[in-house]
Amino acid sequence: MMKRLAAIFGGLLLTMLAIPSPAGTSVQLTLDWKPEPEFGGFYAGQLSGAFAKQGLDITLKPAGEGAATWQLVATGKTDFATTAADQVIIARQSGADVIAFFAVYQTFPQGVMVHKARGFKSLRDVFTNDGVLLAEDDTWLHFLLKKFGTPKVKISAYGGGIADFLARADVSQQCFVTSEPILAKNQGGDPQTFLIADEGFNPYTTVVICKGDLWRSNPDRVRAMASACREGWRAYLDDPTAANSAMHDLNSDMDLQTFGQAAAAQKALIETDETKLAGLGTMTEARWDALCGQLKDLGVTDQLAKGGECFVNP
Amino acid sequence: MTRKQRFVSTVLPPVVVLILATAGLELAVRIFQIQPFLLPAPSRVAGALWKYRDELAISLWTTAQAALIGFVASAVFGILLAIPLSAWPLARRAFYPYTVFFQTVPIIAIAPLLVIWINPGLESTATCAFVVSVFPVIANTLTGMLSTDPALVDLFRLYDAGAWARLWKLRLPSAIPSIMTGLRIAAGLAVIGTVVGEFFVGLLGEAEGLGVRIVAANKVGKTDLLFAAVLMASLLGLAMFAGVNLAAKLLLRHWHASEKDT
Repeated sequence: MMKRLAAIFGGLLLTMLAIPSPAGTSVQLTLDWKPEPEFGGFYAGQLSGAFAKQGLDITLKPAGEGAATWQLVATGKTDFATTAADQVIIARQSGADVIAFFAVYQTFPQGVMVHKARGFKSLRDVFTNDGVLLAEDDTWLHFLLKKFGTPKVKISAYGGGIADFLARADVSQQCFVTSEPILAKNQGGDPQTFLIADEGFNPYTTVVICKGDLWRSNPDRVRAMASACREGWRAYLDDPTAANSAMHDLNSDMDLQTFGQAAAAQKALIETDETKLAGLGTMTEARWDALCGQLKDLGVTDQLAKGGECFVNP
Repeated sequence: MTRKQRFVSTVLPPVVVLILATAGLELAVRIFQIQPFLLPAPSRVAGALWKYRDELAISLWTTAQAALIGFVASAVFGILLAIPLSAWPLARRAFYPYTVFFQTVPIIAIAPLLVIWINPGLESTATCAFVVSVFPVIANTLTGMLSTDPALVDLFRLYDAGAWARLWKLRLPSAIPSIMTGLRIAAGLAVIGTVVGEFFVGLLGEAEGLGVRIVAANKVGKTDLLFAAVLMASLLGLAMFAGVNLAAKLLLRHWHASEKDT
């Protein structure tokens, strides 16, 4: 009797071990905004099975304004999250052990959108002329203020949207090149966009982060995640249609046409000459070091961080 | 009770609570080694208060101006609107429901309009403070004006007092405790309205208000500075509340029961 029982249990155990659970390891990736093309590759990877292929059962969780996503990672509320490179440095300086391992945007997609009719030639013109600039009190703004000196433009907090821009000819505003300029154009505006990156402030953006502990204890999990992200983004760059309609189902605020336009607009910021050689999402220590230096200069961080500690290319 | 005893009995209890709460928080943060980005220890917040004292002082002044303007506008407009509403039932039925608009409108919804209609900066943040704080003034003034002692109303009628006398000598004076309650609520709300307004329409740069500083500190993970700015906002609210109380005492102590020394 005992033998038979043992055999049954043994058999059961063997079957459980032999058949990997079809779902794989469940992991959660928290996105730092709503489903929009800036996250297209993650949705494309979910649809195409890129994550499943790596043994990852992924849950994509969009988040709104609120707690910084690195805080969610640092406190173990999510396995992975997207954020910006400067936030990674800030997080580490605050004592949170998070590292970046995949960067979607190689070029900082933040810009300033102005009315074309004003005839501005560069970002400097925005700051040295009258009018209103709607912007969040963010590191890039401090960088520009330091570079251009006391501004003539009146800088006001930015509550979101493009209504003020469309309503007033003297209003310029911050934008993601993949978002507000497209919306403004579709609503009859005359936006012209200047990239912050062109002025020398260029943090990697929409970087995927995890706890440093995870990389040290289970590097294969991080490698699997990076590979899946890369495959997903490859798929999205090649054909964003399916992922766009999946995201549109989740976020009907943005219409499908805008999804398509945004996906096209962001391509050049994601796939660069460097990524064609090194692979999508890879980062360099030189760029991280440069950013660490800028954050120290601007007083955002008290100590000079080491770029090499902030990221890995798994 | 002597003056000194009274001072001790009113000031000591809250001070003891403050000291105990602060010490408890400091201990908890140290014992459980809570990371600063989750909850900064009071000592860290104090450090930030000192380190950023110049910036915080400017921010406090910027926010205080807007909150004061908004509050005074609420007081004047709220009381002046409630008086005719109390006198004419038809006007009350027609307009009162719409004053609730002020209580329910989310600032974020009207912030972009403020930028279009007015201008970002003090004009807009003071408007936010006004919008948020005017309703309690209207509602409380109205309640006060309408709850005059019926016996006194009859007495005035008996002596054939005119409408003007009834308003000035009876309804308004008897509404004063309610009006003061409305103003006390409005004082705190004006600060909240300003800080929230600054999130959306405050000016950035040298003279940025507490609201702008709170958002910026959050963005760069400086939770100690964030708490320091929140503390300044609370102190501002407290100061305005105390200001209303003091004004009430000075103005009314000789003739109104609600402000007589107790």
